[in-house]
Amino acid sequence: MTHVPNISFEIINDIGIISLGNPPSNKLEQPEFIPLEQFHEWIQDESVKALIITGEGKNFSSGGNLKEIFHQTQDPERLAFGMNAGKELLEAINDLLIPSIAAINRVCFGGGLEIALACHIRVASENALLAFPEINSNLMPGLGGTIRLPEIIGLSQATRVILGGDIVNASDAKSMGLVDFLAQKDHAFEYAFSLARKMTIDRPVKVINAIMKSLKNAATLSPTEAMKDETRLFCMLAINEAERRKMEGE
Amino acid sequence: MTLQWRIEDNIGWLAINQPPANTMSLEFFRDFQEAIQIVEHTDGLKALIIHANGRHFSSGANLDELLDHVDEEVMLQHYNAFLHLEQLGIPAISAIRGVCLGSAMELTLFCHFRICSNEAVFGFPETTYNLMPGIGGVQRFSKLVGKAKALELILHGNTFSAREAFEFGLIDAIVPKHELLTFAARFAKTLPLNITGTDRRICLQKYLNPLNAKINL
Repeated sequence: MTHVPNISFEIINDIGIISLGNPPSNKLEQPEFIPLEQFHEWIQDESVKALIITGEGKNFSSGGNLKEIFHQTQDPERLAFGMNAGKELLEAINDLLIPSIAAINRVCFGGGLEIALACHIRVASENALLAFPEINSNLMPGLGGTIRLPEIIGLSQATRVILGGDIVNASDAKSMGLVDFLAQKDHAFEYAFSLARKMTIDRPVKVINAIMKSLKNAATLSPTEAMKDETRLFCMLAINEAERRKMEGE
Repeated sequence: MTLQWRIEDNIGWLAINQPPANTMSLEFFRDFQEAIQIVEHTDGLKALIIHANGRHFSSGANLDELLDHVDEEVMLQHYNAFLHLEQLGIPAISAIRGVCLGSAMELTLFCHFRICSNEAVFGFPETTYNLMPGIGGVQRFSKLVGKAKALELILHGNTFSAREAFEFGLIDAIVPKHELLTFAARFAKTLPLNITGTDRRICLQKYLNPLNAKINL
């Protein structure tokens, strides 16, 4: 398997696991922390039914490398290119037709939080800390955070989190909807893994894909269009299932 | 008839009448379309309560029948009937006891309020049969409880309790089983005309609070 610096990928029981590995902080050296092509190659494996993104060691990720970003400002085009590449990668994570889960232990700041927001589900340990500290360096989230955060927690809370730059603890994050599930201290991965297993065990990939597509439609299409497509997807699965039953003589 | 219709004190009562399981057959869906038209053309109704005869609300669609007649047009007709229910211009309340699964969940998701008894059991079992909700369930459920919870419950396919359902916002009130219908009636009467469930949480705070003593949390 191709080597990507500071990232590891493995598949356990049909669950793809990406680990951000640059401990202890798991700082992201590049916005495009995995080359997009490499990401697609990993995920396109037919057996992958869910994706977990987690951090190696104690923390999820402290986010981007500020020094590197300021260094790149000498070449604005290169900076913009890198940011766009990072955005495309997060878009790809968000567009997956299998569930993507961020398993967040302890620190999840800046770019780390951007990755988590791109996932469909966020599981945080009860000692997790989340923040967009960019404003403290006169910056802002640059990988879609200003767009995804208000979609997830509403405009007023998002304004407070992004402009305040303050750290949000796990229980506050849960009550504002920033994280979906709370796990025991340092056990976000274990929780995420059992959730992923629960959702995918015995489920054919095409059923998972159809449901993910329909969920995505709920956010992107008009209710009428989304509904029509839900019915279409349902009928596709029903025809498959009816045929399968005939074949097996059920 | 697979449905029973009566009016009492300007409240419409529509009962699923296929006990014990109250399976939603194709015949049921045809009757339901007609029933909603009758409701629409009944003057002076303040609210509609959908409930079921027998111990259970409904176990959902008749799977064998459905798989024998897979038809997108028919499914869209089911959806339109549910949509019609939602757009009647009067609050629709589902009063749920016992089992409420699959298409029955979808029916309740098109109601503006969901009240259940404390032993009610809910679930989307579709994926267990390599299927998915097909009458608006994915759309409505994810809007109501959020993408993560919807994904977990729809993909997992296991049932969940009234209390869990209340905690993540599917259910608006839990009451003791023998009080379900009287509570539903009283709740319906506290609602003004023409609430279109735009913000059911606000509706609830405003109209359900005086009845707090009766909500079994």
